Amino acid sequence: METLVEMKDIRKEFPGVVALDQVSFDVKAGEVHLLLGENGAGKSTLMKILSGIYTPTSGRIVMGGQEYAALTPKKSKELGISIIYQELSVVNELSIAENMFVGKLPTKKLFSVLPIVDRAAYEKKAEEAARRVGLKKPVSTLVGDLSISEKQMVEIAKALVENSKLLVMDEPTSSLTEEETRNLQNIIRELRAEGIGIVYISHKMKELREIGDRVTILKDGRTVATKEMTEIHSEQEIISMMVGRELQSTFFGKEDVDYKPENIIFKAENIKRKDGKTRDVSFELYRGEVLGVAGLVGAGRTELMNAIFAGESYESGRVWLDGREVKIGTPYTSIKNGIAMITENRRETGIFPNFGIKENLVLVNRLLKSGWGGFYGMIHEKQDEKVAEKEREEMQVKCASLSQLITELSGGNQQKVIVGKWLAANARVLIFDEPTKGIDIGTKTEMYKIMRSLAEQGVGVIMISSEMPELLGICDRIMVMNQGVKKGILDKAEVTEELILQTATM
Amino acid sequence: MKAKNFKSYWEKFGTLAIFIVMWGVFAILAPGSFATSGNFVQIITQSATIMLLACGEFFAILLGGIDLSIGSVAAFTGMITAKLMVEGGMNPFLAVLLGAVLGGALCGFINGTLINLTGVHPFIITLGTQSVFRALTLIISNAQATFGMPKIFTQIFGGLWNGIPMAVVIALIVALICWFVTTKLTFGRNLYVMGGNRDAAWFSGINVKQHLLMVHTISGLCAGICGAVMAARLGAAEPNTATGAETEAIAAAIIGGTSFFGGKGKVPNVIVGALILGLISNGLNMCSVPTFYQNLATGLLLIAAVSLDQAVSRKK
Ligand SMILES: Nc1ncnc2c1ncn2[C@@H]1O[C@H](COP(=O)(O)OP(=O)(O)OP(=O)(O)O)[C@@H](O)[C@H]1O
Ligand SMILES: [Mg+2]
Repeated sequence: METLVEMKDIRKEFPGVVALDQVSFDVKAGEVHLLLGENGAGKSTLMKILSGIYTPTSGRIVMGGQEYAALTPKKSKELGISIIYQELSVVNELSIAENMFVGKLPTKKLFSVLPIVDRAAYEKKAEEAARRVGLKKPVSTLVGDLSISEKQMVEIAKALVENSKLLVMDEPTSSLTEEETRNLQNIIRELRAEGIGIVYISHKMKELREIGDRVTILKDGRTVATKEMTEIHSEQEIISMMVGRELQSTFFGKEDVDYKPENIIFKAENIKRKDGKTRDVSFELYRGEVLGVAGLVGAGRTELMNAIFAGESYESGRVWLDGREVKIGTPYTSIKNGIAMITENRRETGIFPNFGIKENLVLVNRLLKSGWGGFYGMIHEKQDEKVAEKEREEMQVKCASLSQLITELSGGNQQKVIVGKWLAANARVLIFDEPTKGIDIGTKTEMYKIMRSLAEQGVGVIMISSEMPELLGICDRIMVMNQGVKKGILDKAEVTEELILQTATM
Repeated sequence: MKAKNFKSYWEKFGTLAIFIVMWGVFAILAPGSFATSGNFVQIITQSATIMLLACGEFFAILLGGIDLSIGSVAAFTGMITAKLMVEGGMNPFLAVLLGAVLGGALCGFINGTLINLTGVHPFIITLGTQSVFRALTLIISNAQATFGMPKIFTQIFGGLWNGIPMAVVIALIVALICWFVTTKLTFGRNLYVMGGNRDAAWFSGINVKQHLLMVHTISGLCAGICGAVMAARLGAAEPNTATGAETEAIAAAIIGGTSFFGGKGKVPNVIVGALILGLISNGLNMCSVPTFYQNLATGLLLIAAVSLDQAVSRKK
């Protein structure tokens, strides 16, 4: 097979960090090359060098018979490289179709002189791409009105309309459900058959074997190995190369939860949203359990929790915490009452890009200590530092220092900071919305441990997740939702993947 | 490592560096008259009202918004304060408290409420209230200046204290309070958080609407105090006073390194920003440059300062 691109001895230094050191990497036409490694290993950095966003400190890139010391975004496009970035970069104010053609809108000539945007042409192409990735909404829909997984699909479709030779996907499935993931894998197979080279980055072990041809593993900015997938015999092999040690099974023994009425920590009754995205959902959360929430796209899981936690579009329904009714209000009142929620969209509702890690970690904790609706309170730098240091350690955030800007962290490490921020809220009920998104396998295991131990300490833990293995692995009961209604609650004794899907589509 | 250090030094001291460089330039261009301590006090005095306005404006910009109404609010509150004393015979201190302090805060409160209720960008709302407050000033004053304010008022708010103009003393006290609020209180830190990512701030438990309301109230309050100071210094409340002053306040905040996108900026730098504006007009006066060239210089400096800031912060 023809080699499309070759990166040789790439080194990239950031102030205070060497992100890549002597990394060589190549992609052939018609192959899927997996790029794996822990959070902060340097995967995204390597790909941003390929797309021309970063200039390597040293090294060469060979493509199309030419050698380059560095690429620019423009040059990279011309060479036929397109990238789906880890952080969503869609524009909420534009429609689906416009998003796909940002910067490359087709034109036609008006009165055969004046070039104007050819709306019919791009809407037609956008329509095709949207159907291909499985987007069901009309392409004139504003992207701001889409769920995060739909936004991710727009991002993928955006790369598809480019007709590129080399397609890089940096964690394309981190906010997709299993069904959507399978659909994406079919697309990848088609593209591969067309001779397109694909780089695929993911932390979801399950997907890898099914689509990878070759794999390169990075660790701390160095290449550990590049191998044919046929040479790899087990998942464990990959994991130990990534982590540098053997990792225990990621599944956990569960508690024996006593489901009697006195043990109810949290109860929601007939939660209904004005926009109809959830209708009359009721559930109970018992002491010591982790309650999973499963569902397909548009199931209304995030919407349900947003209505409870933030009062978003809330119409009716009641909630009780420790037997006492609490009013559904704003995030502030919820936090004060002891209900916390880790939101799923990192870039839009998670990080504060103008701050360092410390500020991002202590925010909620500080708000909790302040009075008058969060207005009144002094800043205690020392105390904040302690809180931040504790959470940094608990979440194993890989950073140069606590004052480093959060935007300089790798995607997975940003996610760890967000989870840490909420752990510091000392909540009675903690709602995790896709918490392990983009987190590497080692830290995932740690996070499951944290969730289980929170549950043991009597904190109510709810986890929305689209990853079946983690739902099955750590939840005691799983609530299944579809189209805004609860379809059933499954017990750990009976639950299987098939049963969840069956229940959802019942 | 070096690039990073330079960046953080620039963020802290960049504005001060501009000030010192400009000072040096004028000291060379107008030796003898410019670099005297008397002239220094002169510069601070000229900048005092802009400092007051810039302090309030800083809060609005910190949230990624803006307040275009402060010039009108200053005129409005100055007029009310004067009327209360001259026509109502009110005790000057009470008049300042009611007319300037409460009046200014109320104007800002109205701005904030309108922004929250309509969801319209502060630029538009305050552009509207800019006209409204100016019109109200003209209406209540019948487009006439109000004279004859009590001596005690003009002395306390427009006079000297140990040789230092009271305007300067008041501006510095206000600046000090603003600095304390933005650096030491959770309220202040919340504003930076909101400026950084408003949706995330909301989900992290910050009551974004209440904070915005408070910010505009503070902005109005600073403008109100400025209104009283201006009236006292002039010895008259002019209905057309402080027209366009908001642009200078914005310029001071921006030259002082405040990010127009919100979430970044420091009160002391904003004060230096205001001083730089004062220094330019003072220095050019010393060099006998006509006023319209002064506007040219201010405009160019604004663009240069912000471009430099961009260039530094974009370094990868
Ligand atoms: N702009 C930047 N400034 C400073 N350091 C950076 C910057 N971007 C990345 N880094 C550092 O480079 C290293 C590699 O980061 P990178 O984003 O490539 O990791 P990754 O392998 O993609 O991880 P993840 O799985 O979490 O996405 C990390 O230590 C990160 O902190
Ligand atoms: Mg990454």
